[in-house]
Amino acid sequence: MGGMTRFFKSLFLVELLKGMRLTGRYLFSKKITVQYPEEKTPQSHRFRGKHALRRYANGEERCIACKLCEAVCPALAITIESEQRDDGSRRTTRYDIDLSKCIFCGFCEESCPVDSIVETREYEYHGETREDLLMTKEKLLAMGDKYEEEIAADRAKDAIYR
Amino acid sequence: MGDKKVTIEVNGQEIETQAGRMLIEIADEVGIPVPRFCYHKKLSVAANCRMCLVEMQAMREGMENPVVPACATPIGDGMKFYTKSPKAIAAQKGVMEFLLINHPLDCPICDQGGECELQDIAIGYGEGYSQYTEAKRVVKNKDLGPLIATDMTRCIHCTRCVRFGEEIAGTRELGMIGRGEHTEITTYLEHSISSEMSANVIDLCPVGALTSKPFRYSARSWELNNVDAIAAHDCVGSNIIVQTLHNKVKRVLPRENEALNEVWLSDRDRFSYLSQTHTERLETPMIKKGGEWQCCDWNTALTTLVAELDILVKDKKNTIGALLSPSSTLEEGYLLQKIVRGMGQHNIDFRIRQQDFSQQTLDPLYPHLGVNIDDISTLDAVMLIGSNIHKDQPIIGHRLRQAVLKNDTKVMAVSHRQYSFHFPVTENIIVHPQRIALQLAGIAKALLTLNNASAPTGLKEVIDDMLITDIQQKMAEKLQAAKRGHLILGNMIYGLEDYAQIRMLASLIASLSECNIGYLTEGANAAGLAIAGCLPHRKEVGKENNQDVGLHAQEMLSKTLDAYILLGIEPELDTLNPQQAINTLTASSMVVVMNAFVTDTMKQYANILLPISTPLETSGTFVNTNGMWQSFTGAVSPYKEARPAWKVLRVLGNLFELDDFDYRSSEEVKESIASKYTAEKFDNRIIWQEHLFENRINNVNNEPIRISDVPGYAIDAMVRRADALQDSLDMQIADKVLMNEKLAQVLQCHADNIVEVEQLEGSGKFIVAIDESIPDDCIYIPSAVAATTNLAAPFSTVSIKE
Amino acid sequence: MTNEVCFRTLHLDKPSSLDTYISIGGYQVWKKILAEKTSQMDIIEEIKISNLRGRGGAGFPTGLKWSFMHPPGGEVQPSMQRYIVCNSDEGEPGTCKDRDILRYNPHQLIEGMAIAGYAIGASIGYNYIRGEFWEPYEQFEQALSEAYEAGLLGKNIQNSGIDFDLYTHLGAGAYICGEETALLESIEGKKGQPRFKPPFPASYGLYGRPTTINNTETLASVPVILEKGGQWFLEQGKPNNGGTKLFSVSGHVNKPGNYEVPMGIPFADLLEMAGGVKDGKKLKAVIPGGSSTPVIPGEIMMDLSMDYDSLASKAAGSMLGAGSVIVMHEDTCMVKTLARLSHFYYDESCGQCTPCREGTGWLSRIVHRIEDGQGKNEDLDLLNSIASKIEGRTICALGAAAAMPVASFIKHYRDEFQYHIDHKKCMVSMK
Repeated sequence: MGGMTRFFKSLFLVELLKGMRLTGRYLFSKKITVQYPEEKTPQSHRFRGKHALRRYANGEERCIACKLCEAVCPALAITIESEQRDDGSRRTTRYDIDLSKCIFCGFCEESCPVDSIVETREYEYHGETREDLLMTKEKLLAMGDKYEEEIAADRAKDAIYR
Repeated sequence: MGDKKVTIEVNGQEIETQAGRMLIEIADEVGIPVPRFCYHKKLSVAANCRMCLVEMQAMREGMENPVVPACATPIGDGMKFYTKSPKAIAAQKGVMEFLLINHPLDCPICDQGGECELQDIAIGYGEGYSQYTEAKRVVKNKDLGPLIATDMTRCIHCTRCVRFGEEIAGTRELGMIGRGEHTEITTYLEHSISSEMSANVIDLCPVGALTSKPFRYSARSWELNNVDAIAAHDCVGSNIIVQTLHNKVKRVLPRENEALNEVWLSDRDRFSYLSQTHTERLETPMIKKGGEWQCCDWNTALTTLVAELDILVKDKKNTIGALLSPSSTLEEGYLLQKIVRGMGQHNIDFRIRQQDFSQQTLDPLYPHLGVNIDDISTLDAVMLIGSNIHKDQPIIGHRLRQAVLKNDTKVMAVSHRQYSFHFPVTENIIVHPQRIALQLAGIAKALLTLNNASAPTGLKEVIDDMLITDIQQKMAEKLQAAKRGHLILGNMIYGLEDYAQIRMLASLIASLSECNIGYLTEGANAAGLAIAGCLPHRKEVGKENNQDVGLHAQEMLSKTLDAYILLGIEPELDTLNPQQAINTLTASSMVVVMNAFVTDTMKQYANILLPISTPLETSGTFVNTNGMWQSFTGAVSPYKEARPAWKVLRVLGNLFELDDFDYRSSEEVKESIASKYTAEKFDNRIIWQEHLFENRINNVNNEPIRISDVPGYAIDAMVRRADALQDSLDMQIADKVLMNEKLAQVLQCHADNIVEVEQLEGSGKFIVAIDESIPDDCIYIPSAVAATTNLAAPFSTVSIKE
Repeated sequence: MTNEVCFRTLHLDKPSSLDTYISIGGYQVWKKILAEKTSQMDIIEEIKISNLRGRGGAGFPTGLKWSFMHPPGGEVQPSMQRYIVCNSDEGEPGTCKDRDILRYNPHQLIEGMAIAGYAIGASIGYNYIRGEFWEPYEQFEQALSEAYEAGLLGKNIQNSGIDFDLYTHLGAGAYICGEETALLESIEGKKGQPRFKPPFPASYGLYGRPTTINNTETLASVPVILEKGGQWFLEQGKPNNGGTKLFSVSGHVNKPGNYEVPMGIPFADLLEMAGGVKDGKKLKAVIPGGSSTPVIPGEIMMDLSMDYDSLASKAAGSMLGAGSVIVMHEDTCMVKTLARLSHFYYDESCGQCTPCREGTGWLSRIVHRIEDGQGKNEDLDLLNSIASKIEGRTICALGAAAAMPVASFIKHYRDEFQYHIDHKKCMVSMK
C-alpha cells in the first residue's frame, strides 16, 4: 500500500510541485528586499546596538561605578576602574567596553541602577584595528551626548513595561 | 550552668550541649542558620537588632509560644525552638522591614555592597516592595580620622562598633547618643579614633556605615582576588587576606586564627599596603657612576656588584658587612648570611637598633615570648620592662588586656615613660632609663628577702645598702604570689646601653619568682633571622661560631668597612644612631642597597641600588615570637623591575660561584633550614654569670638625657610610607619633643615653641610639648621619624636651644 | 472609706512632716522590726497574704517578687550587696499618684522602703524620682533628712545592728527610665535604656547586684499592711485584687484628681466621685490605666469595676495599669487622641532595639497623616500590621505600650478613622 502511494507520488513529482507552489507565491508577491544602505528596515525602540554612557541634564555623568554591568557581562567585555572624585562622589576613572567581545545581550543596560549604560540604535560601525573596537569612557560619553534625545525617547516609550 | 549537660531541640533536631549557653552559639555550631546583625562571637550580647528572633515552645501548657532572641536566650534542659516556623519567619521579616524603612537604597555606591550582611539577609527576609512612603532618615557623617569612612545614614544601630571600643580596643571612643529614631553612633566630641586596632570596626559593621577610607570606591568585593598571607609588621605574624585587583593590592583583611590574631588585625598590618605604589618605590636597578645615578638592567647591576665585591674580598679580611631588616624573610636572611659567610666573613646582623651586645652568646636560639600568645590570658601577673605593648605589638597588647579583664591579671610596668595602656597597671615604675637596672635590682632584692636567698656574687655589693621601695616590694610580692607570672622585655629595652645587665636582672627576678621571661622584638621575623643565622656569632639554626665572631650591628656602623650590603633597611631611620650610620656608610667605598624604596639620603651613601619586593610581593617565611613558621606567597607581582630579594640573593650566590645556591623556590630554601632545625622548649631565663655583671648602675649623672622609642607607625619602610597611617593621631608625635614641666622650666622651654635640638654634630627642629609621662631629667624625642635623621643615638645627652 | 492607706495623712495639717506621720502611728512597724528583728520570711508572708500587687502597672504580686531574693535552694551569694529601688519615675501620661505620695506622705514611703530593704536583705535603697518632679524631690529630701535626724535610717539604727541607707536619685526626664532595668542603668550613670532579660534584676540588678524594684505606691502601702495585717488589706478589695488603689482621674471630668479607694470599685462610682463627665456630656471612651493601656468605649466601661481582673476580662480587653483613668467625652476626636499618644511613644522610644526605634516613628507618622487628611485606605491595616510587628518583639515593654493603643483605637473606632481618610476631616467636630 505504502509502496504504491510512494511510487505515484514520485512519478508525478508531487513534492516538487508543492515546493514550487511556495516559490511561485513569492515570485508574484510584493517584494520585501531592502536596498541597504539607501533603504533601511524599521527599528524597534528596544534595538540593542552600540553602547553609550548617558549624562543627566546638568551635564553630570550618570555612571556611579557600581560595577554591576561589569559583573553581569557574560562576555567579560566591560572593564571598570573607579575612585572617589574630589567632590566625594563615586566615579569611574576607566570604563571600557570591548566591542569585539560584546554579544549585545543588553544585560549591562538591564543591570544599570541609574540608566547610565545603554545600547543605542547605532549599528553601522566598523573598526580597522582592535583599538577602534574598544569603546573608552570618552567615546561612550560622546555617543551618549550624540544620541541623548533618541535614547531618552526610547526609554520613555519602554517605561510602561518596566 | 557550667558543665551541666542538657538536651534541647531545635527544629526537631535534638542537640546535647552545656546548659546556660546562648541558643545562637549552638545553632552556629550545628549549622542551623539564624539571621543576626548585632550578635558577634567575640563581643558581648546586646540583643538589640532583634533579627535573630526564633519561636520558643511555651514553658506552660496553654500559653502562646513566645518569640525570643536566639543570641540572648540561655538554654535549659528540654527547651524547644523553631527557627523556621511561620511565627519565627514572620518575626524576622518584621524586623527586617523595620531595618529597611530607614536604610538608604544606595547599595550601588556603597562599598559594603556585595559583602553586606544586611543585603545578604534582605534577600531572604526582605520584601520586594516597601510599604513605607514617608521621608527616610538622614544622619550627618562623622569624621573618624584617616582610616574609617562613615556613611551614618546607613547605620542600623547594632552597636558592634561601640562594644568593640569598650571590650576589645579598650578605648571608649564611639558611643550611641540620642533617643528613638534620633539615635546616632558618634564620637561624643568629633575626633579621630586613636585605637591601634580601630579599623576592625570596618569588618564588624554589618552595613556600609563604617568602611575603609583608603579603599573607598576603588573596587567591589566580588571582583577581588584573595591571597592568604602573613602580616609583616610585628612579631605576632597576624594572618591576613590580601585582596588584589589587576595586580594591585586593594585591601588587607584579617584571616581568622585563634592562636594568634583571632579575628582582629592591627591598623598597621591592615593599611601598610598603601605604600605599595608610593612615589619613593625604587623602579629599576641603579648604579652610581662618577657621582651620577644611572638606571640599568639587572644584569649590569649584578655583574658590576660582583666584580667590585670580588676585588674587595680577595684583598683583605673583615671588610664586608651585611645589615638586614628584622622584617626580612627567613629565606632572605639565610641566603644573605650564606653569601657573607661564603666570602669568609661573619659580619651580619639584623639587631640594628640594639646597643649592648656584651652578652650575645647567652641569647636564646631565637627571641621567644616565653608564653604562647593564646595562653597570655592565663597569666596571673605580667611585668612589662620598657614596652609600649599595645602600640608596639597591638595583638599581644589586646591579649594582655583580655587577660586583665577576664583573669584579673596584674600588670606591672617598669619603663622610661609612662605609657597610657588600655588596661589598668597595678604598679608603675617610671624612671630615667639609666636607673631601670637599679629598680630591677631593688625588685630582685625584695625577692631575695622573700625567698631568704642570698644575692649572687656581683650583685650583692650593689644591693647591700639599697632601700627597697614600696612599689618594688609590691611588685616582688605580686610576682612571687603569681602561679603563672611572666616578665616581658619590650621593644625599647634593646636600645639601652645596659641592656645585658637589665636582662640578667630580669632573669634573676624571673628565676626567684618562678616566672618565665620573654622577648618582644622589632620586625616580623627576628626569630626567623636568628634561626637563619643572621648573627655575627651564630650560624644557621644556632650553630655557635665562637672562634670567628664577626662584627655586630653597632661595630659595623661605628667603624667603616670597605663594603656594605643593606637589605630592606634605611639606616638613617632604622638604626639606633642615624648620624653615625650615615657618616660611616658615606665613608665606605661600596654600599649595596637592596630596598623597595629609595630616598635622596640613600642615594648619598649608596653605590648600587637594587629594587626588591615588599613582603606582599614575595614568597617567604616568617617565624613569629612563638616559633611558629608561617610561609606565604606573593599576592601581587613585584612593582616594575623589582624582584623578590631571595631570588636576587640566589643569583648573587651563583655569580659569586658559591656552593649550594641552586634553589628553585623559596620553599627549597626554607626546607634546607627546616631540615636542620629542631624545635626546643623555651625557657628564656639565663643563668647568673658573675663576670658578666659589670656594675654601672650608680653612674648616673643628672644632665638631661634623650629618651626615645619608635612610634607604632614609624617602625619600617612600608609603614612609614602608608599615608593614611601617617595622618593618624599617633603620628602627631613625630615632630615633637616632650618633657615634663619641671625640666621645661629649667630649660626655659614653652609649649608649642619650636626648638633646635642638638646632639653631637647634628640637630633637628622640634615643637615643644609638656608631658608629665616623661620622668625627670629626660627629654623624649621619637626615633625613626624624619626629624631625627641627623641626631645621634637616644639615651645620651642632648642640648636644646630656641 | 477613702484615703486609708497611702493618703492617710492627707486630711491632717502639714501632712508631709515627720510629726504628723508619727502622730498617726507612723514608723511603729519599722521600730518594731528594729526591736524584734522580725523574720524576713514572716514579713514576706504577710505581704503575700495581703495580695498586694505591683502598683506600677504590671500587677506582679509583691510578696512573690520579694521572695525571689530568697531562692529556695539558699542564697546564691549571701555576702553580696543587695539593693531596694523605688520607682518614682512616674512618666505614664495620665498618672500623678506617686507625685502626691512623695509630696504628702513621704515618710510612709521611707518606712516602706526600709521595711522592704530589711525583708529582702538590702541595706541600701534608692528612690528614683522623675526629673520633672523637682518640688516632690525636695519634699522627699526634706523628709529623708528628718528621718535621718530622728535616727530612723543610717548605720546600726537604734542599736539594732540593722543598716539602711536611703538615697534619692533625680532622673533626667526620660519616660523609658520608668522601665525597671533602664532605671537601674540610669542610676548607674549610664544612658537610660533597658537591659535584656534574663538575667532579671533579682539576680543581676543595680551594679550587677541582686535588686528589687517596686513602685512608690506599692512600697508606701507596706507599713499599713504590716500594721493592720495582710488580711485587713486584702479585705479592702476583692479576692486576688486586694487592698486599696490610687486612681488618677483626668480628662473630661468635673473634679480631676487622685482618689484612693478600695480596689474593685465600680467605674460608675469612681466617675461620680470625680464629679461626673464635664459639661454633662456623654461618656465616649476611657483609657483605664494610663496611656499605654488599650482604650475602652464608654458604654462597656460603665459596667466594669476598677480592678486587675475586671479590666483584663475579655469584654474589656484592657488593663488596670497604674490606675490612671483618662476620661473622654463625646466631643473627643479619637484620631487626634491617638496621634498625640503615638507621638509620645515615638518621642520617648530609647532607640535601642529595632522594632520600637523604627516602628514608633512609622506609627506616629501614619496616624498624623490620617489626622491631617492625607490618609490612605490601606493605612488602617498597615497600622495594625506595624503594631503587631512591634508587640512582643522588643527588649522592654515600651514597644507593646506603643502598639497596644493603636490596635485598640482602631478596633473600637475604626469608623472614625475611616471617616478621616474618606472625608479628610473630623467626624466629631462636624456634629
